[in-house]
Amino acid sequence: MEKAESLIKDLCKAFAFIEGHTKIQRSRRIYAEIPLENSSSLKEVLIYLRNKKNFTFLCTITGLDSGENFEMIYHLADDAGVLINLKSFTPRSRPVIESVTPVFTGAVFYERELKDLFGIEVKGLPEGRRYPLPDNWPEGQYPLRKDWKKPDENPAPKA
Amino acid sequence: MSLINKILTWARIKSPWIIHFNTGACNACDIEILASLTPTYDLERFGIQLKGTPRHADVMVCSGPVTLQTKDRLLRIYEQMAEPKFVVAVGTCASSGGVFQGCYGVNGGIDTIIPVSAYIPGCPARPEAIIDGVVKLLSTIKS
Amino acid sequence: MSRVVVPIGPQHPALKEPASFTLYLEGERVAATNVALGYNHRGIEKACEERPYIQDIYLIERVCGICSHSHSTAFIQAVEEIAALEVPRRGAYIRSIIGELERIHSHLLWLGVAGHELGFDTLFMYSWRDREVVMDLLAMITGNRVNYGINTIGGVRRDISKEQSEQILKAVDILEERTKFYIKLATEETTLIGRLAGVGSLSREMAVKFGATGPTARAAGVKRDVRKDDPYAAYSEVSFNVITDDHADVLGRTIVRVMELMESVKIIRQLIKQLPDGPISVRAPRKIPAGEAISRYEAPRGEDLHYVRANGSEKPERVKVRAPTLANLTAITHMIDGGYLADVPIVIAAIDPCFSCTDRMISLREGDRGTETLMDWEGLRNYSLEWYKKNRGIDMNKIHALR
Repeated sequence: MEKAESLIKDLCKAFAFIEGHTKIQRSRRIYAEIPLENSSSLKEVLIYLRNKKNFTFLCTITGLDSGENFEMIYHLADDAGVLINLKSFTPRSRPVIESVTPVFTGAVFYERELKDLFGIEVKGLPEGRRYPLPDNWPEGQYPLRKDWKKPDENPAPKA
Repeated sequence: MSLINKILTWARIKSPWIIHFNTGACNACDIEILASLTPTYDLERFGIQLKGTPRHADVMVCSGPVTLQTKDRLLRIYEQMAEPKFVVAVGTCASSGGVFQGCYGVNGGIDTIIPVSAYIPGCPARPEAIIDGVVKLLSTIKS
Repeated sequence: MSRVVVPIGPQHPALKEPASFTLYLEGERVAATNVALGYNHRGIEKACEERPYIQDIYLIERVCGICSHSHSTAFIQAVEEIAALEVPRRGAYIRSIIGELERIHSHLLWLGVAGHELGFDTLFMYSWRDREVVMDLLAMITGNRVNYGINTIGGVRRDISKEQSEQILKAVDILEERTKFYIKLATEETTLIGRLAGVGSLSREMAVKFGATGPTARAAGVKRDVRKDDPYAAYSEVSFNVITDDHADVLGRTIVRVMELMESVKIIRQLIKQLPDGPISVRAPRKIPAGEAISRYEAPRGEDLHYVRANGSEKPERVKVRAPTLANLTAITHMIDGGYLADVPIVIAAIDPCFSCTDRMISLREGDRGTETLMDWEGLRNYSLEWYKKNRGIDMNKIHALR
């Protein structure tokens, strides 16, 4: 717990806007939020955590539809099994984020998921096939958005 | 070649060729299909041969709930097979979509795309059930 | 005598499919690789939001039929954290016992598949025969060979009797003997070692850079194992080694897995001997209070991560699953590029991907001419076996160790 508290202290010192937006849920589980107006600082915070605090493993990025905004949680792990979960936001009206692949090469598939399933534009996302939806998936259909419903089709079995 | 071997060879030649296609299954059924080829279950003794090409296959053994990405390929392989041809749906997903019914990425059971001759339920289908189903199908083919 | 062709890639090359692996060749070597996936995408995360938690357990188990227990435990642990439920010790122990049995079955399965990719079908038959020992155990304890359904929110659904415990101990004795043999094979059999060494290299630095996990990362000396770093279930109460290796190649990945078999045997013995008395589960509410949690689990292939957000209803707000293979797939291009085309099947197999990843079409692009050949998995495998016979004089069928 001490280590987690000192980590949060250092993080808030480096990035004042995170102050008041942190939570230690239990041992080895830290949460921190970057307020919407500071979202452009995401990469900086990731670089700090990776280089200064040894969070060298990006486990995955979870996208969420939180109504007015889309939420992206960057789950980072260090060698001691601590997970810091960094939340960032982008407005639903214009969901655009910057790729974090310059910081974590392994982010590629996770960002493709954000694009395919939520329709979030990821600037600087490396070229490649879409993931995970099939090639013939219709444009503008983002299944993990809360307002998306599967079109009703009930194919009858062929005799 | 001894007489016994001649007969065995004849049985092998007359036996159906099978191809296996996974339409987006979780792999449990596919592994049980492979397991039924290993010595413990030994599907081979019934003269069944697993082949890689649809052109000469008599039976297509399918697993999975037909994900959107595999739909076209499933249809194409079926069309490549020469008559008479048979399709076996292995597992609950292949039979009806199983637990994935209603998921946006799947079509449903194999029979939503192509006609199915035999259904082997189970999640996954046990090797004994797979062998039982295939042998039952073979006896209807033979007759 | 006719031979059984194991169907890892049965599709006809002439079928115009979107290729899953596009390999740009320069002579016999791969210059660049493009990976395309989504074959298996079913829409599970969305479906989880539309079903109550208890049904989601059943669904999540079927994300992958090889490590179903990993997925269901990871999911349930997140839900239990949100609901502040404490699983009774006996329940946690049973979860771990099933988890280690799953690891053994998965690694033996992998050994067989790897054997097949190398043209070493005897290894496939032997390892899958040994694997049946585990399948029988799992069927005895849980009622199913796969997709055990042993978990529930708050604990496990079935207990292990004293007789079953004794059966488990007897079975792991057998597995230990077989494991000693597989370790010998991986560390002393020169033909096998010659075939695997230097293939699919992924240095420690690159493994960290790409975010690799599990045996793929540990084979490059990255000492990460969720059971040790971020213990869950009963793992903080047993002693075991995190197996790492320095070969940083396919040989290393093989060594790590066979050594992990031995560790799993050790862990299971401790779990059975120390199995605490008491209840196996606590009652869980239907509605899970608002909150979120991340659960990590060391699946046979590496770290499995589940994120759950609850909203006070009986259905989750969001469920995110990141299976280990996805974390290793970004590294795959790096392992393939610069290597021989003939090594592609075993390199891909060595990250232990889901079967469906290998049931694919492969597109080969010849340098500047841009001519494209489509090959199915079986075709590539045959090319590989021929290449190794011709250029290296390696024929796995000549290995006598298993006769």
